[in-house]
Amino acid sequence: MILNFITMNGYGLYVWLSFGIVFISCVVVYLKTKKTLKKYEQEFLAELKALTLEEKNKALENSKVAQQILATSSKIN
Amino acid sequence: MFKFFSSTNIYLLIEKLIKFVNSIFFLILAIGLTFALVLSPPDFLQGDAVRIMYVHVPSAWIGLSCFSLITLLSVLNFIFKIKNFYFINKSAAPIGLLFTCLAIVTGSLWGQPTWGTWWAWDARLTSMLVLMLFYILYILTFKLLKKEELIIKVSSIIAIVGSINLPIIKYSVEWWTTLHQPASIKITGSSSIHSEMLLPLMVMLLAFLLYAALIFLMKYKTEIIRIKKKNIKRN
Repeated sequence: MILNFITMNGYGLYVWLSFGIVFISCVVVYLKTKKTLKKYEQEFLAELKALTLEEKNKALENSKVAQQILATSSKIN
Repeated sequence: MFKFFSSTNIYLLIEKLIKFVNSIFFLILAIGLTFALVLSPPDFLQGDAVRIMYVHVPSAWIGLSCFSLITLLSVLNFIFKIKNFYFINKSAAPIGLLFTCLAIVTGSLWGQPTWGTWWAWDARLTSMLVLMLFYILYILTFKLLKKEELIIKVSSIIAIVGSINLPIIKYSVEWWTTLHQPASIKITGSSSIHSEMLLPLMVMLLAFLLYAALIFLMKYKTEIIRIKKKNIKRN
């Protein structure tokens, strides 16, 4: 039964290759997207930290996004 | 009301949405794969090769839907000048390209055991290849052009011209004699696919849609951060 499942009655190569290609492509795209997102979050944090205290407070006051990224910065690093 | 759709509010919502998608995605995928690879019956003509349908069809549908969305938002952006649509399009295009490529590759892998060939220059296959080329052109505008206004114009033109191909893909199997089978699932009218195959197909479609949503949300979040990063000193 297990052999039947693997060979798929002679179509195993096509079926497993199709599912495998889809799986690998999706994983690669997911990892690449996540890496880019983290890179931008870190760059944003670095720019925020490079500001003077006054500039930083102003930026945080005006931007909820900045507040959110700073709040989750422990997760990013 | 439109204030709700500001990038800040959307950003705050994205985090919650990503968590929600993550929480249900693997369960849906596991159910879908169990049905697709184990529980669904083999086709009486194609045998187990029919299981490729469970990855091929959702990929093709998402590839087509993404381009339809891009075209619609490009037209709306031309009329209403809503910049958010540009960012949505920029985030959706790579997903559309990924699924169009997957539809072509899995279609080729399905074609070999059923038609006896990996590829044929028939109407459905060729029009899907044209869609892939339009996606590549569309994405290249973001990579090659520098001025944002020019990117919006050029990419919108590509999307609108490319949309001519969408009805060609849909009706290619009716207008021309092709190797590709006609549509088995119809929104209007009765579908010719058995419910034992339709159910796994729908579950796999849901899993693919959740994956596409996850990638879209992450890409969209990246876009918002990119803009906020530019504006950080101006605040």
